Amino acid sequence: MRTTIIVLEKDLRIAWRDKAGWLSSLIFSAILIFIYAFAFDLAGTNSEPLLPGILWTTFLFSGIITCNQSFQQESVTGTLDAMIASPISQTSIFFGKFFCNLISLSIIQFMIIVLGTIMFQVNLINIEVILAIFLGTIGFVSLVTLLSAFEYRERFRAVLLPVIELPLLIPLLLAGVQASSSALEISNTSSPWLIFLGIFSLWGFLGSILLFPLVNEK
Amino acid sequence: MTISDKIIMHEKLAISVKKISKNYGGKNILSECTFDLESGSKTALMGANGSGKTTLLNILATLTSPSSGDACINGYSLKENSNLLRAQIGVLAHIPMVYPDFSPRENLYFFGNLYNLTNLDKRVDEILHLSGLWNRRNEKTNVLSRGMHQRLALGRAVIHNPKILLLDEPETGLDTGGLEMLKTLVIENSNMTVIASTHNNKNAEVWADNLLTIYKGKISTPT
Repeated sequence: MRTTIIVLEKDLRIAWRDKAGWLSSLIFSAILIFIYAFAFDLAGTNSEPLLPGILWTTFLFSGIITCNQSFQQESVTGTLDAMIASPISQTSIFFGKFFCNLISLSIIQFMIIVLGTIMFQVNLINIEVILAIFLGTIGFVSLVTLLSAFEYRERFRAVLLPVIELPLLIPLLLAGVQASSSALEISNTSSPWLIFLGIFSLWGFLGSILLFPLVNEK
Repeated sequence: MTISDKIIMHEKLAISVKKISKNYGGKNILSECTFDLESGSKTALMGANGSGKTTLLNILATLTSPSSGDACINGYSLKENSNLLRAQIGVLAHIPMVYPDFSPRENLYFFGNLYNLTNLDKRVDEILHLSGLWNRRNEKTNVLSRGMHQRLALGRAVIHNPKILLLDEPETGLDTGGLEMLKTLVIENSNMTVIASTHNNKNAEVWADNLLTIYKGKISTPT
């Protein structure tokens, strides 16, 4: 617990000082929401049924930018190796990175939700939508944190994103879109998508904790 | 040799490497390396570029796992007790392993905290004075010169007073003052077992009491 807090504090401080990660993620997300809003407005279509898809697409790309950033510097400077060579457990390193990414992405998601509410004139700030997003974000951040560590360890990192990372996230993203649709009362599906989302997130979270030390092994 | 002789000999050994090999991508990087180093010894690891020096140091630092073989560091097996032996070792690699957005003080404080050191403030101040970084302790590390990065990296590696120090070409970028720091912090510390890769024969002759030569992944001359 102590070492997790040390790693988390260090990562949050670095994220705050090196503004490149969260700032590019935030601006990218805002631009994406603006483009979607204007495109659907021009087409004259009812954008409400598409809103969960728009939200989760935006979360996907902003999340990947944010989580990758947390390992990019560690990889270049070799500081991840310095942490691994110290007596702290690799689970502490994972938790520190996970919570830092979760906090950063949650702040960005909050901005996206507020902007989406304004641009699409649909109230996204309700407890059910936020619960679905939060639950999905836990699984999403776990997997992307694990895979970001993997990407920076491997020489074939360029192909990891399309070949492993995105396909692995598909079940979680589908459940996230469906659970958000149900929360917004867009779809009247009887399937318990929120429970599926919870199961996918739990699976992603536990799997990532177990696999993180193996990913760092050379 | 009696059993008590063997026990005394074991206690004297800081590093005991047994038939360590490393294959990577079908290529043999290290081949059955075997050697023993006594506590407090200073060993120069020499060899041409690509001979396997860095891989051997990375294995001893627990950053790379061997394909076969094992090593015993201060009584802890590399394979079975890697978490315990990490507290005993300090590592200086090719790259400084420090955060460029942190100041030297913040870097030392962060890494010292990972070792749960008591009197960390005092130890950080001591390292900052010894490394000659005291006057620049609050500046961002990314504005410091290459030599100062190396001094900070050396300070980070010894912040917890490790019993074993693994150095990969420690003289890189160091000026006369930096070399003096290396001497004070590392070479003159009789409790510290040091193994350092180097290309500088002349310097190695001055500080090393052991020489390991590595050629195409094989240890050739332990003396």
